[in-house]
Amino acid sequence: MAAITAKRSWKRKLIGAIVLLAVLAAAGAIFTWYKFFREEPQPDWITSDPEMRFRYGSIGAERDAGIPYWIFVVLPRLFPEKLPGPGGYASLGAPWEQGQELPVGFSKKVVGFARVANNCAACHTATYRKSLNENPTFVNAGNGHTLNLVAFFRFLVDCAKDPRFDADNIMREISLVYDLGFVDSMIYRFVLIPITKKRLLEREQQFAWIYREDFPDWGRGRDDAMNLTKYFMIELPMDDSFGPTDIPAIWNLKKYDGEGTTMNWAGDSHDSYSVIIDSALGLLGAPPKRNSEFLEEVKWLQDYLRAKEPPPYPFPIDQALAAAGKPVFEANCASCHASERTGKRMPLAAVKTDAERIGTWNADNAIAANKVVSSFGIERKGLVEAPLDGYNPPFLDGIWLRAPYLHNGSVPTLRDLLQPPEQRPKVFWRGYDLHDPANVGFVVQGPEAQRIGTRHDTRDRAGSSEGHAFGTALSAGQKNALIEYLKTL
Amino acid sequence: MRWVARILVVLALISVAAVVYLANRFGTDRPVTYADIAEHFKYGSLGGERESGFPYWIWQALPGLCADKLPGEGYRSLGLLYEADKDLPVGVSKRRVLGLDRVFLNCSVCHTSTVRETPESEPRLLLGMPANLFDVMSFQNFFFACAQDSKFTPKRVIAEVERAGGELDLIDRYIVYPLAVFLMQDRIRMLDARFSFAGREAPWGPGRVDTFNFAKAIFNFPMDQIPEHELKGPSDFPSIWLQRPRKDAHMQLHWDGNNVKVEERNLSAAFGAGTTPPTIDHAALDRIEDWLLDLAPPAYPFPVDEAKARRGAQIYAEYCSGCHGATGRDFGGDRVGKVTAIEQIGTDRGRLDSYTYELAANQAQLYTGYEEHRFKHFRKTFGYANMPLDGVWLRAPYLHNGSVPTLRDLLEPASQRPKAFYRGYDVYDQKRVGFVSDVPSEGRRMHFLFDTAVPGNSNRGHEGRPYGTALPAADKDALVEHMKTF
Repeated sequence: MAAITAKRSWKRKLIGAIVLLAVLAAAGAIFTWYKFFREEPQPDWITSDPEMRFRYGSIGAERDAGIPYWIFVVLPRLFPEKLPGPGGYASLGAPWEQGQELPVGFSKKVVGFARVANNCAACHTATYRKSLNENPTFVNAGNGHTLNLVAFFRFLVDCAKDPRFDADNIMREISLVYDLGFVDSMIYRFVLIPITKKRLLEREQQFAWIYREDFPDWGRGRDDAMNLTKYFMIELPMDDSFGPTDIPAIWNLKKYDGEGTTMNWAGDSHDSYSVIIDSALGLLGAPPKRNSEFLEEVKWLQDYLRAKEPPPYPFPIDQALAAAGKPVFEANCASCHASERTGKRMPLAAVKTDAERIGTWNADNAIAANKVVSSFGIERKGLVEAPLDGYNPPFLDGIWLRAPYLHNGSVPTLRDLLQPPEQRPKVFWRGYDLHDPANVGFVVQGPEAQRIGTRHDTRDRAGSSEGHAFGTALSAGQKNALIEYLKTL
Repeated sequence: MRWVARILVVLALISVAAVVYLANRFGTDRPVTYADIAEHFKYGSLGGERESGFPYWIWQALPGLCADKLPGEGYRSLGLLYEADKDLPVGVSKRRVLGLDRVFLNCSVCHTSTVRETPESEPRLLLGMPANLFDVMSFQNFFFACAQDSKFTPKRVIAEVERAGGELDLIDRYIVYPLAVFLMQDRIRMLDARFSFAGREAPWGPGRVDTFNFAKAIFNFPMDQIPEHELKGPSDFPSIWLQRPRKDAHMQLHWDGNNVKVEERNLSAAFGAGTTPPTIDHAALDRIEDWLLDLAPPAYPFPVDEAKARRGAQIYAEYCSGCHGATGRDFGGDRVGKVTAIEQIGTDRGRLDSYTYELAANQAQLYTGYEEHRFKHFRKTFGYANMPLDGVWLRAPYLHNGSVPTLRDLLEPASQRPKAFYRGYDVYDQKRVGFVSDVPSEGRRMHFLFDTAVPGNSNRGHEGRPYGTALPAADKDALVEHMKTF
């Protein structure tokens, strides 16, 4: 009898212990899920308005590429010397609306904890001002001509490399901004700060080429996109190629529906669906967690961008002059820029613009990149698996805003582009957003353009303004008329 | 064995008592509170001591320790005001936090001053008026210089504390205050670096501050890279009466009208009182915010020539009311509280240029995480806001940069306004309406020679026929007489 009781009580104790352990394990699992993995939808003002969704909506990049929100907030305050100038993230030329806690193209989403990542709008939002006495106008899907992308990449890596990037310094700065409370402070101190540092440092090797002293700076508004793809998506070792090009406007994508048109400067990709997928994967930095969810977002972006109209010219247009410019356009420009040939590759020998961009990519790279995307289980037409030996003549919708011109942004204004190559400006400053209605482009000289913009020297590698000598022999009157007409596109 | 147990019990009791004592000593966070709202305004805490507070006894010891770094006797020489029987000046609050009494600033340090009828009169303390006598730049330079001086050691600080009357117990003497000295040095070094821009600017003089370069310092912008044209921003402290009509009409607040939200403007100003989003005492600030909604300026205490004022009223209605409101209480008018473009108003653009789009964008991150308080309304503007003129008689010198000593001078074209004058005196000039501006010193106290030739100090603008500078002298006199009643 006594033995049986003892046995029962022992058994009861064992069960009790198991139950207790199970409860503890469950609590731990719930805690871990809640603090590190639970996903909260973004607020309604972002998700319900397509314009806001494009600017601030998550494309799912927070999971793997996200930076913990409070680290993101304090980095510019801790390391201002690593930014191009005063202004925090604004000094990077990231378009930033007054009243918004993050610049355009920076999405905030809670995945366990609030994280900040990027979406398409980071590069594809343009700002312009009509006069010094006004605040910028933001154009979704525009060319991000102000963004100093390379400085942003370097900033994050440089911060992580700095010995001051540690829990003490970061927590001290956060404490001036927000009270995280005990649990989240511990999570930041012992988990998020060390992991963020490690993750950022892991990129250093892949970013080696942006630190090369034998390459010039990309400058504002340019992106060495194919090298970025090579070193990050297909993880090739660094080569000597270098070819930053203008960040393009991506409005009105339905213009690429035509048979045989390809996309990007050198016609690297078959269709807009593929381009959006590849660019978005670059922002995710990892395979999507759920392909269906990812492709749904891609589809939304594609629909939005197909329908997005370019912005109309914001100054009055001299309609008579523009009408006079139309035949000039048709005689001199339309055969490449408004015809069957538009959006289809043209041999380099025909246009003779700077060749460096072509050297940054080849058919083998395309095959490798397509394999990577297929391995994620994503089907798309993808990158063109053929040698790219020229550039696509672009459609000219909204061309007034798409300065500086040529694929490498080497010519500041439309008027300059109509000058013979040897007479185009050799040195100018890009990334200042004051529109120049006389020449159509942005103001590229003067103290403010020099203070805010980055210096472009056409004698630097990949910066040449040679080629595209079309229309340079027109009379001054014809040029004026043509420029006026181009404002209407 | 029983004695062992007894010892253990005694030890346990001692430990508990020690923990309770230490928790009580170091864990309390208790401001000195005032039931009376005016006292709260003058001496109440906004929470700035938690992050920025100086230990009370160090505050009291510094003027003795670094007497060589003050222009005169004590904090008074920097333009801080003491009421009789008070150990701290107006605008300095006290809170017990982390085991010691700490002091820091509140709203009234910049928004309270005194007026005297004659040099012999007793100064009258007036709440909500611009702090005409307070020299912020010298005030901060004093702390930066003293805390980084070789004299600033625990030993000498504590000796000075004792001389100042502080009775420190053993814990304070050997642990808390020595530690506080080091922490304060560290803190001041950080602030000195962030506020270094002030060293690139001409002296502000009393009654002025470069508000939005301080705001850049909050974000730790690299101030050595701030372009010259942004560093000419020192402007007068404003009066802060009658906020309700401003709030209700969504007036553009601050000199350049960069924010229409009273609450945001107040939280922004509270950074100057050492508060941070996690440490601010919202309830304490709300009390002041509510009180200021309807706090009216004091009436003009000197004689007014009623007939002359009535005549001036007609001129005022014709020339001034559209931008500045119907009267000193009725702020109706098409353009009141709105920005006039810089090209039109023509006043010095230094203050306007000190505020940038980049700063406005960054300010939207202030109070992030506290969404109801997060700043959403800062906007870059391109001119100066037309202010209502309640209590305008106390708001001299005039224009945003305080470059015109009296109302009567403001009615002259810029070429005939004083090129240089003295600021920092509280004796009233009833004739020209403003403070007496031609007296270089009083006793040992030197007034500040304001030079309108210094960049940022220009007294031009707000002139020409529509601004009344072409009126006959008698009309100008009448207009000034009328404005005494505001």
